[in-house]
Amino acid sequence: MVTLLLIIHSLLAVALLGALTHQAISVWWPATRRTGSFVSGLRSVPSMSYTNAIILLFCLTMIPGAIVYAEYRIVVRVMLQDYRLYGPEGAFELKEHLVAIGLGLLPAYWYYWKQPAVKDRASTRAIVTTLLAVIVWYSFLVGHVLNNIRGFGS
Amino acid sequence: MTISRVFPVFSIAFAVIYIASVWYNLALFTYHPEPDLWGPLVQPPKQGPAMYWYGWLVTATLGAAALAALALALPAKPLERAASVLVWLVPIAMIGVISYILRGYFLR
Repeated sequence: MVTLLLIIHSLLAVALLGALTHQAISVWWPATRRTGSFVSGLRSVPSMSYTNAIILLFCLTMIPGAIVYAEYRIVVRVMLQDYRLYGPEGAFELKEHLVAIGLGLLPAYWYYWKQPAVKDRASTRAIVTTLLAVIVWYSFLVGHVLNNIRGFGS
Repeated sequence: MTISRVFPVFSIAFAVIYIASVWYNLALFTYHPEPDLWGPLVQPPKQGPAMYWYGWLVTATLGAAALAALALALPAKPLERAASVLVWLVPIAMIGVISYILRGYFLR
């Protein structure tokens, strides 16, 4: 059950990471016209349409993560402490708090994307989106490293 | 006046209250994963570790919601102006604070 939840958590995280990265790139480096190239396509996504999907994906990713977190505390964290792997343990502790801050940031993120045409909110919108993207990238990488630290299913 | 105008206030307050909850351990409930038990407020570990993270999330959510509700009484324009900077500055500062709190893991 834990393995299944972990796989679901990982797959949702990949989707979230892709959508948020797309949005962050298009908000900082928007394409003026689409030329058909990969880079142009990357920059010219309709950012607003991503917002609700990103919020939903963030919450859906967090639910299985929050469930398997209990297993992490009982099994994985103890192993990390036994092997004196303080760096990975601390990185995961930081992930737990960054994800919480990211969750709290979602209402503001939605608010600043609600009216994307409002120019005076553009910089706030871009920074909040980037902050969320950094949180998700950090969480993804730490989760990936922790999952692989002893090998899948070991 | 729409409720959504205080969403940035919620996010700012959430970050501060969450970090305060971690620092002072203000969890509204505790989960004991080994015996699979939930208990109110902060409880010592029982047959294994005690988990406060879920409780911290609820503390921060309720506290931020209360502050956001109070912020509805504030004038819209100045609130909007202040929130547009604080909404990213405060979470970044709180990430700095939590990184400092956890520095022991990386300095051993």
